[in-house]
Amino acid sequence: MNLVLRRVFAMVPALIGVVVCIFVLTRVLPGDPARTLAGDQADPSVVAKIRTEMGLDKPLHVQLVQYFSDLLHGNLGYAWHTGHSVASDFASRLPATVELALVALVIALLAGVPLGVVSATRRDRPVDHAGRVFSLLGASMPLFWLGLMVIVVFYNKLGWAPAPLGRVSEGVHPPTHITGLYILDSLMTGDLVALRSSLSHIIWPALCLATGSTAIIARMTRSAMLEVIGQDYVRTAVSKGLKPSVVTLKHALRNAAPVIVTISGLQFGQLMGGAVITETVFTWPGIGSYVVQSVLATDYAPVQAFTLVAAVVYLAANLLVDLVNARLDPRIADA
Amino acid sequence: MKRTILAFAAVTALAVSGCAANANSGGSGAAEAGDTLVAAYSEGGKTLDPAEANDVTSDTFVVAAYDQLVTYGRTTDGGQPKAKTDEIVPMLAKSWKASADNTSYTFTLRDDAKFQDGAAVTADAVVKSFEHIKASSSASFLYKMAGIAKVTKAGEHTVKIDLTAPNHLFLQILPMYSFSIIDMDKVTQNGGAKWLANNTAGSGPYQITKWDPSTEASMARNESYWGEKPKLRQVDVKFIAEASNRVQLLRKGEVGLALEVPPKDVQSLKGSDGVVIDSRAGNKILFFAMNNKIKPFDDPRVRQAVAYAIPYDKLLNDVMKGQASPMKSAVASSTPGFSDAGYTYGHDLDKARALLAEAGLSKGFSFDFTLGSGFDDWNDDAVLIQAELAKIGVRMNIKKMARPQFLEALDTRKVQAYITRWTSFVNDPGYHLGLLLTTQGSSNYANFSDPVVDKSWQQAATEPDVAKRNKLYGTAQQEINTKAPWAYLYEYNIVVAHRAGLDGYTSYPDGIVRFFQLSVTK
Repeated sequence: MNLVLRRVFAMVPALIGVVVCIFVLTRVLPGDPARTLAGDQADPSVVAKIRTEMGLDKPLHVQLVQYFSDLLHGNLGYAWHTGHSVASDFASRLPATVELALVALVIALLAGVPLGVVSATRRDRPVDHAGRVFSLLGASMPLFWLGLMVIVVFYNKLGWAPAPLGRVSEGVHPPTHITGLYILDSLMTGDLVALRSSLSHIIWPALCLATGSTAIIARMTRSAMLEVIGQDYVRTAVSKGLKPSVVTLKHALRNAAPVIVTISGLQFGQLMGGAVITETVFTWPGIGSYVVQSVLATDYAPVQAFTLVAAVVYLAANLLVDLVNARLDPRIADA
Repeated sequence: MKRTILAFAAVTALAVSGCAANANSGGSGAAEAGDTLVAAYSEGGKTLDPAEANDVTSDTFVVAAYDQLVTYGRTTDGGQPKAKTDEIVPMLAKSWKASADNTSYTFTLRDDAKFQDGAAVTADAVVKSFEHIKASSSASFLYKMAGIAKVTKAGEHTVKIDLTAPNHLFLQILPMYSFSIIDMDKVTQNGGAKWLANNTAGSGPYQITKWDPSTEASMARNESYWGEKPKLRQVDVKFIAEASNRVQLLRKGEVGLALEVPPKDVQSLKGSDGVVIDSRAGNKILFFAMNNKIKPFDDPRVRQAVAYAIPYDKLLNDVMKGQASPMKSAVASSTPGFSDAGYTYGHDLDKARALLAEAGLSKGFSFDFTLGSGFDDWNDDAVLIQAELAKIGVRMNIKKMARPQFLEALDTRKVQAYITRWTSFVNDPGYHLGLLLTTQGSSNYANFSDPVVDKSWQQAATEPDVAKRNKLYGTAQQEINTKAPWAYLYEYNIVVAHRAGLDGYTSYPDGIVRFFQLSVTK
């Protein structure tokens, strides 16, 4: 427990640094949010009025102090381009993104780890080569192109996928709100209609999103396994006459696990970022498409809030990775 | 161990499901067909406050939920309904009278109009609504442009509006969504004007029942509407950023109407079964502006040379795929009072060379061109124009900029050349030229300054006679066409793609769909 507390406290300076950096960065970027908000036909007096309303006429350090004081009061600011507070915009959108990223991570782990293990144990055999080709394609495939292709083929031509419109089908109510994660909520309320609908909606964007991560997890698993397989204790296990499957899963995979856990944590952060593109393509009502709109509108508050949330997610994922690894390998906990 | 966890999870799930409500256990939520419509828009809008709305989606909701004092007339053009913006017809005001000197208007309100929660639409509400507009960020400048000096109650259902001077734009501006009549008492009860950003308090044909800018919005028919009952009971608007998705959903019949269909998709949709493309001239224009205060564009001959070098047909056919038409004046051809007098330009490189030689630039010159991001056609246009100008020895250096930067750069009035589009929501040359091409115009980023234009525009503003006024606007347009502060690229079509069986769509120059006019016949 002590370790957790210490680690959480260590995050505070990192978070403050992130907030200050992004605050300064958004302000020095060219482009006047008031001008953008007012539209190109607006009179200069309108622009000036909006600037005052947004507090942009105050000196930078005053704005920064104001921002920190707002943050401490739990106020993430106001999203001018949507007309809502950032907190309420996030509350309605973040669960969709988290759910998408989690499902994609599960897919990537379920596909990537076995692929990596098989590639390592069948080194330089056809399976390994096929895995390499898949990884190369998966890691280099442009996400928006993949998404559009999936929609054209599976929705438009084959009719397997539902319309790329939101998280459940037309006419189906979202499950009763508990966590905001539709799959979890519908399981908890026994809502099979919503469960089926949300699964059929999430699977296509999640598959697209998972492609890159599957490839990377497969490659990392493969190399971690190869390293472990070459070790003395694996050779000992084999010479003791243990079954190959036991050697692979019990001895080798368990020792390669820390690497896989670490890469999975990093990939989760990547998936949250990749969701930006996937969400736009699939009209997924998450945080990604919202942030894209905010950036285009030079709307500071949502961009800053997103950076803050992303930093928290990264740090939390890192913490989780370390804790899991400490469990897997006691030597890490002492280090 | 693993099995225990799974069993535990299953038991927990079942236990929780026993007590929590299940959203889909009630009756089915399926709507009957025929009186509902699903529409696909690209963005979710910013606000529902009529005085602050200034994007197509927000404006659409405002027009659905609110009425104005007066509205634009309708006519048909080749069998298709379209707006007649120079004809002003009654809405909440059943009649009005101008004073002899045209500086004061008295409006008589209908006495059967009610706001959506039952309160009567009274003179008080009108006065307070105008106060709200005057105090707003976005619409306050329209208030000024309309020349409103004072709004007073002259009876329970009578309102008197005094102007600072005779101003024919006044009646043109009044039907705009910005001048919606709001139930201000309800607004006060709910804590003030901020409440309007997410709520409505109007007397319009629809109620906004749901609005989430990230996903969708719904509107339901106002069953106690004072006017003609809307035919569609419910309209759902889905916000779909990706244009190709909007097109596919329309093709599959999952949405009944789609906006902002890119020109290349219009062609492919034309062959689709059951899809109707309504593509008609609007008043959105695209022009290539040259800064009249920066060399060498301070010489009209150089600007004319550029106008002769633009490959107009390529822009219309290759870039816009026919979803645009030639532009022959600074004012769009669908605007009342349009005149192409003095317009002589066509793609003629010899003439362009001759003009450059006359201006002493027979060897050509080079200039900076600023390209704002966000619109694919601008990019293609710029590249085609660059190639064409190179043939007469003119080097166009394209500098790309993100849209927010671009707008900021224009504001400095130091950009040498750029292209930009413009829609005059008030479909009148006075509004259009006043903002864009008079010396004082707040959007005159090309620094065009011409005494003839300024004088005719000022005279026209106070001229009550339509024919005389249009003559003055004609003079101004002729002068502008000759002096060529801009090279005119094209007029955009307003494209609305919908399923067959949708009737009543009326094209308005502002591009806003009025859902209360629509009906679905199959």
